[in-house]
Amino acid sequence: MTDLFPFLQAAADTAGAYHAFPVIGSRAATWIAAEVHLMFAAFVLGVPMFAVITEAVGIFTKDERYRERYDRLSKEFTRLLLVAYSATAIWGAVLVFFLTTLYPRFWNHMTEIFQLSMWIYVGLFFVESFTLYLYYYGWDRWNKGRAKYWHWTLGILLNVWGTAVMLIANGWLTYMMSPPAGVTAQTLPSEVGLWNAIANATWMPINIHRLIANAVFGGSIVAAYAAYRFLAARTDEERAHYDWMGYVGNFVAISTFIVLPFAGYWLGREFYEYNQQLGITMMGGFMSWLWILQAFLIGVLFLAGNYYLWIGMGRIPGAERYRPYTKWLLIILILGVIVWSTPHTMIASRQELEAMGGSHHPFLGVLGVMSAKNTAVNLMILTTFLSFLFYRRANKRPVAPWAKQGMLAQWIMFAIAAMVVLFFGVYGYFVSAIVRIGFSVYQVLAVLTTIVVVTTLDIFLLRGAESRGEIRWGQMPERSQYALFILAVTFTWLMGLMGFARSGIRQHWHVFEVMRDTSPDAVTPALGYASIMISVCVLIFLGLVSFIFWLSELGTKPAEAHAPAAPAPGAGPATAPAPGD
Amino acid sequence: MSEPTPGARVRFPRLSPAELRAALRHPFWQAVALLVGSYVLFKFGVRYLPPLLGMKSAPVPASVLTQFMVTALVGILIYVSDSEDRWRHFKEPIHAGLVDADKKWIRGTLLVLVPLTVAFMTYERVRPSLEAGAQLRSIHPAPPGTITFRGKTMALAGLENPLRQQGNLADQLVEGRRVYYENCVFCHGDRFDGLGHYGHAFNPAPLSFTDPGTIAQLTESFVFWRIAKGGRGLPSEGTPWNSAMPAWEDFLTEDEIWSVIIFLYEQTGWHPRTWGEEGGADAQP
Amino acid sequence: MWRTNLKIVGLVVAVLGLYTLVANSIPQLQSELPQAVELSGDVTPEQLVAAGERIYNGAGGCTACHGLGTRAPNLLTDEGGTGTIGARCGSRVAGMSCKDYLYQSLTEPAVHVVEGYQPIMQDMRRTLPADQIWAVIAFLESQGGTIDVTADDVRSAQQPSGGGGAAPPAGATASLDPREIMTANGCLGCHKLGDQGAAVGPPFDGMGGRLTSDFIRTSILNPGAAIARGYEAMAGVMPPTFGQQLTAGQLEAVVSFLSSQR
Repeated sequence: MTDLFPFLQAAADTAGAYHAFPVIGSRAATWIAAEVHLMFAAFVLGVPMFAVITEAVGIFTKDERYRERYDRLSKEFTRLLLVAYSATAIWGAVLVFFLTTLYPRFWNHMTEIFQLSMWIYVGLFFVESFTLYLYYYGWDRWNKGRAKYWHWTLGILLNVWGTAVMLIANGWLTYMMSPPAGVTAQTLPSEVGLWNAIANATWMPINIHRLIANAVFGGSIVAAYAAYRFLAARTDEERAHYDWMGYVGNFVAISTFIVLPFAGYWLGREFYEYNQQLGITMMGGFMSWLWILQAFLIGVLFLAGNYYLWIGMGRIPGAERYRPYTKWLLIILILGVIVWSTPHTMIASRQELEAMGGSHHPFLGVLGVMSAKNTAVNLMILTTFLSFLFYRRANKRPVAPWAKQGMLAQWIMFAIAAMVVLFFGVYGYFVSAIVRIGFSVYQVLAVLTTIVVVTTLDIFLLRGAESRGEIRWGQMPERSQYALFILAVTFTWLMGLMGFARSGIRQHWHVFEVMRDTSPDAVTPALGYASIMISVCVLIFLGLVSFIFWLSELGTKPAEAHAPAAPAPGAGPATAPAPGD
Repeated sequence: MSEPTPGARVRFPRLSPAELRAALRHPFWQAVALLVGSYVLFKFGVRYLPPLLGMKSAPVPASVLTQFMVTALVGILIYVSDSEDRWRHFKEPIHAGLVDADKKWIRGTLLVLVPLTVAFMTYERVRPSLEAGAQLRSIHPAPPGTITFRGKTMALAGLENPLRQQGNLADQLVEGRRVYYENCVFCHGDRFDGLGHYGHAFNPAPLSFTDPGTIAQLTESFVFWRIAKGGRGLPSEGTPWNSAMPAWEDFLTEDEIWSVIIFLYEQTGWHPRTWGEEGGADAQP
Repeated sequence: MWRTNLKIVGLVVAVLGLYTLVANSIPQLQSELPQAVELSGDVTPEQLVAAGERIYNGAGGCTACHGLGTRAPNLLTDEGGTGTIGARCGSRVAGMSCKDYLYQSLTEPAVHVVEGYQPIMQDMRRTLPADQIWAVIAFLESQGGTIDVTADDVRSAQQPSGGGGAAPPAGATASLDPREIMTANGCLGCHKLGDQGAAVGPPFDGMGGRLTSDFIRTSILNPGAAIARGYEAMAGVMPPTFGQQLTAGQLEAVVSFLSSQR
């Protein structure tokens, strides 16, 4: 038996391991199938999360006006899901067919380990789809009394199935990234053990990271959908409704986005811990420039997110009070983006290198190191949070007797957090690397604590607050909606980019250090090629999603007419931009 | 604030102080001023302000300048458009420039300028050039562990200048001076500043030994390696194709190189980095 | 409506275009694909070192940590005053030869972690085939030390792990201890090594400092090719038959031994 092994191995290495895909090649074909499938999957996993939450808000709110409004919103989310679901399944099937036909040897390896989980996966997917059908088509039927609670339970189940499906699929791909320690090229797949393979080093971090990212992604796509409907709206009611929907989607996206870097940090650390080479390839190796690009995208997200909020303040009575401050917030953000995206090793021509005396700028080089980046991004998060706070408070006048002290406390919290971030940022230059890494934890803790404490204070502070006037939903200039599109495109692109980073650090392995990629496409491409692939995937996804949105609109046109007009407060007759001072 | 017709200002560049103040309050001119201001700041401020405070600085590479300017431009656009009022004011001069009958000359100028600019940029991009593309170059790359000098293997790590232990220093300096003025002075210059007669012909320029970042930072064995192996002996991160330094092992003996090194340190007043500084006692395995 | 649609499409395409443009305007780096290093059974130490250097800088991924100073000990430059790896490997662990030490460090890195560093290195057998590991060892030894990796190490490494299939090459059982070989083949009858041998031919002492290993190899195989100064009278005394007497592994063992005589 042992004599045969090398022979078998050699035969397996050469014959029938790969097949070619015409024109674009196997890798590109699989890349597109996997990425588009993933985007749809993220969408259909993210949207149910807040469909259920908004439905719950509708059920449990005491305000009769909001009940109808949230319920309608939730149902609209779910309607988007229906077609997106089949698209997810179709692209999943495309991916599986590509893998089986183009990478048979690899696929064999995977099926031998994961077959049981694959069957469970299919079963869960089946159950999930039918839960979704029940959830959507039963909406109007189970809309009263106890039935409504059962209906809501269906929504929760939908999320449970979806998350379970994701966890299983994550097990497969994290196995490719970080197979359990005992597995080597000589290990027979049948000896690996299913649970052993699924519960590998990076499985949990990826699960958490993706769970959060799905919510972010779902939120941003829903916001883009609302933006489209806003721009296409013919009546003020519609405009008011979609303006509000866009705001909710964006709120979900941005607020969950703020915690995403911490999950990413955990994932990165697990990579380092699993194998230094993976970690170093990711951060310092040929991928290091990818992070400059990521910094650029994150800068766009921060700016576009805040921009949307600031424009939105134009439709809130009382927001004029905060107007003078937004430009200072903007200045902090712009400085933050500049610091955040200044590279340490700069691209320069020979004369420029000569003038700098090396690849590091003698003055700007200071901004290129970790201390500066952490400080910048933490201040940007604080600033964005402050924008939210202004937005939230704009049309309210707190009546609590301790309002003054409360607000003072909030400001002091902000000041302290900013000081802590700045102090450790500057101090970081004077200590060794090991100590400096610890500093980032203090900075993050200061920011997170501030966010939590200030939000809690704010909730009590504004309880029963007087209104300075209702938000004029719908009176939003069009360019704000384009900001939502930019956010959605950027989130989608960022997802593609991070996917490339995660998958690319494996380099020339199908399963890291277990199964070599010996195909002609074994080289991990450079960022330029990857960016074209990502753009193509995003285009395909957005194109299909637009089509799906159009379909869902097509199917419900008559029903819409009967739907009660959204009781959007303040949706006045004026559609002209809000008059200024 | 009642807005005077913005076009008037465009027509007449001569402004009274009151008009100037009004212009500075107008978002469009604010935006223009901010854009120009940030360009000046990034282009010249970063270059010349830190030295006033005693810090070192250098021109900002074009790639980074572009990145900063894009960020600034986005910031300015956000500023002028985040409130409806400001946005309307901001657009007025643009609208006037594109529509008003008496602004024909602006449109005409733009019609000529914009295609010309695009054409010029295109030309600049596709113009064949002898200039190497932007790249990353390490000036003092890590030296190899050992080198072969005329068939003799020398371990660079821990290597000291042997001439410092033997003979008298004055003789070494005389010998070093002879070697320097027969071989090195043409590029590295009479003042050791890299401004020799031939030095101007080269980019990267010959190193200035008076710069605190060159031989002052290096061990004598590193300097020996650089002299002996020259530009072509650089590892790839030091871009060996990018240096005109000859490999002096073909022309000088080992002792000649060591003596010129002594001469260099003596003349510039630097002290070579010693081996004791790195590693330290605790690093002993 | 179509105007809005077009605007949206334009915006999306512009944003995508911008990102793609930015990604394409920064330096384009591909991941390095490990090159298949072909090592035949009768590879010379020079070839081993050259191959090892390629692996060290490329597929082995060694440079990701070694040489940066903080994650792992320097190998090609001095480490804390103990010299380069080839110079210090023999004295790192008492009673362990340089070759054994390096082999264990590559395959069981956690056993001898240099003080001050974390055991972060992986078993290199997971990334590199056994013969390439020997090439890396040869390269590391060449950094200030003597190369005693032989073609036999490579050959034995190329045996299928199951073993037993092919018969071992004929010479593989012959002794590879250079002193034994030299005694058996009568070298010391004419050449002086330490207090042994005679002064008929050029002494082995310090030979590595005078001659390159290629020159030594040529001279063993074809003794008349070049005659050392002062030994012209002895030309033709040395038998030209060592090429047939010695196995390739033995020849390389002798050559590397002689070139290590400084």
